[in-house]
Amino acid sequence: MSAETVHTVIDDIGSLLLFTMILIVAAGQIYRAIYAVAAQSLLIAIAAAVLARATGNGDLWVIAAITLAVKAIVLPWVLHLVVQRMNVRREVEPVIPIAATLALAVLIVVVSFQLSASLGPVRQAITGNALPVGIALTLTGVLVMATRKTALTQMVGLFASENGIFFTAMAVTQGMPLIIEIGVILDVILAALVMTILVLRVRSTVDADIADLDRLRG
Amino acid sequence: MAETLLWVLPLVPTLTAVVMLTTRDRRILSAIDVTSSAVLVALTLVLAREVASGGPRALGFLRVDDLGLVFLVLLVVLTLAVSIYTVGWLEQAVSVGNMRADSLRSYFALVHAFVATMVVTILADNLGVLWIAMEGTTITSAVLIGYHGHHHGLEAAWKYIIVTTIGISFGLFGTVLIYAAAADVQAGAGTMSWSAIMSIAPRLDPGIVRIGFIFVMVGYGTKAGLAPMHLWLPDAHSQAPTPVSALLSGILIKCALLGVIRFQTIAAAACGPEFPAGVLLIFGLVSVVVATPFILAQHDIKRLLGYHSVEHVGIVALGLGFGGPIGTYGALLHAVNHGITKALAFFAAGTAIARYGSRDMRVIRGLLGVAPFGATLLMLAALSLAGVPPFSIFVSELLVLRAGIGGGHWVAIAIFLAMVVVIFAGLLHHAGSMAFGQTTATAGREREAWFPLLGMVLLAAIMILLGLTIPATFDRPLRGATEIIVG
Repeated sequence: MSAETVHTVIDDIGSLLLFTMILIVAAGQIYRAIYAVAAQSLLIAIAAAVLARATGNGDLWVIAAITLAVKAIVLPWVLHLVVQRMNVRREVEPVIPIAATLALAVLIVVVSFQLSASLGPVRQAITGNALPVGIALTLTGVLVMATRKTALTQMVGLFASENGIFFTAMAVTQGMPLIIEIGVILDVILAALVMTILVLRVRSTVDADIADLDRLRG
Repeated sequence: MAETLLWVLPLVPTLTAVVMLTTRDRRILSAIDVTSSAVLVALTLVLAREVASGGPRALGFLRVDDLGLVFLVLLVVLTLAVSIYTVGWLEQAVSVGNMRADSLRSYFALVHAFVATMVVTILADNLGVLWIAMEGTTITSAVLIGYHGHHHGLEAAWKYIIVTTIGISFGLFGTVLIYAAAADVQAGAGTMSWSAIMSIAPRLDPGIVRIGFIFVMVGYGTKAGLAPMHLWLPDAHSQAPTPVSALLSGILIKCALLGVIRFQTIAAAACGPEFPAGVLLIFGLVSVVVATPFILAQHDIKRLLGYHSVEHVGIVALGLGFGGPIGTYGALLHAVNHGITKALAFFAAGTAIARYGSRDMRVIRGLLGVAPFGATLLMLAALSLAGVPPFSIFVSELLVLRAGIGGGHWVAIAIFLAMVVVIFAGLLHHAGSMAFGQTTATAGREREAWFPLLGMVLLAAIMILLGLTIPATFDRPLRGATEIIVG
């Protein structure tokens, strides 16, 4: 593949990633958010495969495989299972209206592109528009975590945020060292595990949802 | 020799954690706990001697220099004190049903896994490994914070893991950006090692390093408890079991500061020292100002100590922001002093809470009448935290102040001084009313237990020593670390 084609493909995947992010922000039901983040992880895996093919960096194939297996299949499946198991009575429970969150998300995307347009030569080190898309994804993921009360939606925000970082990281020339990327994925899995345990523990010991925990103040 | 030690150090707590899982006996668990911490102290002293004679050592992605050594010494000393304190604390906690006797081994295993992740954080040379270990501390300590399993503990644990994980993903993004800048300079095969990036730092693109540093500052700053990202800190530090509170406030937030310092040196080399110093100054000032009203209005003693950590992390950030050899030296010394003193304060508060069965400072009255040693230690810790001479925190606060005046940061100095004076009054009022006066009728009258006192006396001795003089053996790494940061 020529460098031109890679740029175009990465930019296309980038715009699809932003689209899935909008789906996550707009999701009124937890299932939709989970499916959207699974689709997003699938796109990340495809991007890794494309970059692996283009740069001939074998490590990226491994990352593509791990991303596909863990983030596109296993984690969404576990979330899905937890939703079913807990018989979630609540859905997304936004702190501020979804329309307002969407407006903020748009603002984030615009600012991210502005910010990285202001950067000069170093943008050559990162393929295509991966930098602004990555910043936008990360910040929007954080936005989702901050504006949703239910535990599972917050976890979806976390995964989306991590996807943004991965997208930028793999588009950096040569990608990050494999061992680091694997370590990062491992940390995300462990964090998700501990969060799930906490959710279930809150459920079983104090019979409440995470969203009801608001006693610590001042 | 020293290179091997680098790998042995994190392995000691890791293996201890595994060994802990094989027994349920409380005495055996405590014995392993104290032994392992003592071994860690001994190994660190050997390593310190090697570094003093032969300079920085590196093996693989671990590296130790004077900067890491300062934080490593703080970590192992606190771990030892915590282990000694835990012996007595556990006995009491099990007898009143705060800890379940059958689940103690997982508690100990988690504490040592937590210590192991902190050791790696301090020794990490590779910035990716630094991030992974930092997230590792979040995962292990989140479980510990919710360990009691009651409503408040679980709420604090959830808030902690969500807020710090959000924060730390900013840190990863910043790391990626700095790495991208480094890869750009090296044209291809990039490195993530801090020492390698430092060697090319002046050639990095300042624009991207600026954005990267702000991301890192927000990320690791969240973990360090700098305002306005501190929202998780008072909850987590107050709800965790007391020995864990001491580790969280004493050393974990300092590990995050070490992360900030590593990136500060890169940013200072790439875009001049003014930029990172300015960012640190703003976060430091905001932290000191935000913490003050909460300290004054607080009734929960452990929450008070939590907010107080926000203030002191702010002071360390101010010291780094004022910069220069004096400010940086003062900031590092302050990180150590605060770690020692805050752990002591948490220990003393923990024993007082156990005696009164309440954490409300309006209930804890006349401690001096029922627990003279504990009350004395609590007063010493409070006096030191407030910044009274001749205790150690006075010295480091003075150094930070001196650097600010030398640099002509008059507005910052004025705000800082005003807040410190207000907090001084508030803290002494709180501590005085707890120690003196008529003892509350509900207070326990039993004799004071030995082991918690022993752990506290160890820390109090170090606190007083560092206030009177800074031993030459400790002064050398502090100076070395200052040189690394100031350049």
